[in-house]
Amino acid sequence: MDRRLQNSGLVLRIGGALSVGAFVLAWQIISTSGLISTVLLPSPLAVIEALVRVSENGYRGTTLLGDALVTSARCLAGFALATIVGVPFGLAMGSSKRLAASFNYIIQFLRPLPPLSYMILLILWFGASEMSKVVLLFLTAFPIIVSAAMAGVRNVQGRRLQAARMLGASQHQIFWHVTLPSSLPLIFTGLKIAFAAAFQTVVAAELLTAQSGLGWMVLSASKYLQNALVILGVILLGLIGMTFSRLLHAADLRFIHWRGID
Amino acid sequence: MRAPPWLFTLVSIVAIIALWVGVTAAGLVSPLFLPSPAQVWSGAVDLFETGYNGTSLLHHIGISLVRVLAGFGTGAVVGTMVGLAMGSWRGFNVAVEPYIEFLRPLPQLGYLVLLIIWFGIGETSKIVLLFLTALPVAAVAARDGVLSVPAQRIRAARMLGANPRQIFFRVVLPSALPEIFIGMRLAIGLVYATLIAAEILAGSDGIGWVVFNAGQFLRADYVFVGVIIIGLMGLILDRTLVLAERRIVHWAGR
Repeated sequence: MDRRLQNSGLVLRIGGALSVGAFVLAWQIISTSGLISTVLLPSPLAVIEALVRVSENGYRGTTLLGDALVTSARCLAGFALATIVGVPFGLAMGSSKRLAASFNYIIQFLRPLPPLSYMILLILWFGASEMSKVVLLFLTAFPIIVSAAMAGVRNVQGRRLQAARMLGASQHQIFWHVTLPSSLPLIFTGLKIAFAAAFQTVVAAELLTAQSGLGWMVLSASKYLQNALVILGVILLGLIGMTFSRLLHAADLRFIHWRGID
Repeated sequence: MRAPPWLFTLVSIVAIIALWVGVTAAGLVSPLFLPSPAQVWSGAVDLFETGYNGTSLLHHIGISLVRVLAGFGTGAVVGTMVGLAMGSWRGFNVAVEPYIEFLRPLPQLGYLVLLIIWFGIGETSKIVLLFLTALPVAAVAARDGVLSVPAQRIRAARMLGANPRQIFFRVVLPSALPEIFIGMRLAIGLVYATLIAAEILAGSDGIGWVVFNAGQFLRADYVFVGVIIIGLMGLILDRTLVLAERRIVHWAGR
């Protein structure tokens, strides 16, 4: 088992590259052979062509970079707001039983609710504007982040708090030097989950109501059967989502260097 | 005397309902945007008695459940098998991992559009979508489950003369099951959220479609009822899995 865990990075990368290379090659061969209509399944080359064409000319009055930025900006706006409000709120709920009792049931009702189910309400209330999308993403990420911060505070080991108290730390010091650092690993795990959820939701929301963004581009291209563009959009969305998750993960490793040390 | 925490929950619930009643009764918000509790209740009675758009509500709930179970069932079974193979066989892991790692963060709704072009707008595209949603989550959980089996358990079994087959079924699989179940819970939540979105985008029935369609006709009372039903259904799906887990994996944590 131990040896298997050490799938050295190099083997993994070379093997992975070979596997992906073989897949793309098979895809190109199937498209060229005409087994499947290229309208349904454009070849990898057609996808690259679409990338070049759209980066040069844009798509229906929007640029590819602009669409990618709009999608990212919406997602980050909702996520950032949820982080700024959710982390302090969750920490407070973790510290105060009364606060938790007053609001936890709302959070726990919202958390498993599919965000798209109440999107139509947000559209009714805020219009099909940026506002309704940012509120939607906020509501997607917020309960996850609050729950993580609350769990983080509650999981702080009692003996750490007792030790700090015994050494004469004030409430203020205990919070900043014991509770917060001890709960940060769980908070970061929550942030990663919340981001993934927000990213799924932003794409769904763009498919429904947007006039810009990569999700909108994918839907619009599919209506005109421009499948190369659809595939390109999906791949770009995957890459953007992956990049942001990696960044969060890197920030986690960097800032929470005490994770797993007890 | 200190008030017990449940009192705060009660006060908070009462306060919210009072605020809701107050705001709607005073006419501060149009009932088109925020129906009163009474309107939501009569909307619920209406929906359950006469159905929505000529189809009974139970039909919509039922079809959504069938889709979730079909997509989740196939995706979780295939995903778990792929994950077990990935955990047990290094070469397979190296070959398959890039796809799983790419599929996992991919927004499902993005490729729903492609699936619709390929499989039509009917049930097939939705179930394939849910299958692809559940598969990578289940696969990663099963692989990590296999990889985290304590090595001494396997060595002990080997020393006692177990063959690879016995080791897999008697040691590796039972040890990996708790993690597999964690993956299943994640997967069903994701599948459910994806289904609701898919019904909104490309459905003509199902509970997700009901909510969205009612919203488009400004029936906010129906929307409230629908959102509550969707929340309860999600809760039931999750609780069912937890119960199954307790039943099947009674050795978890030991």
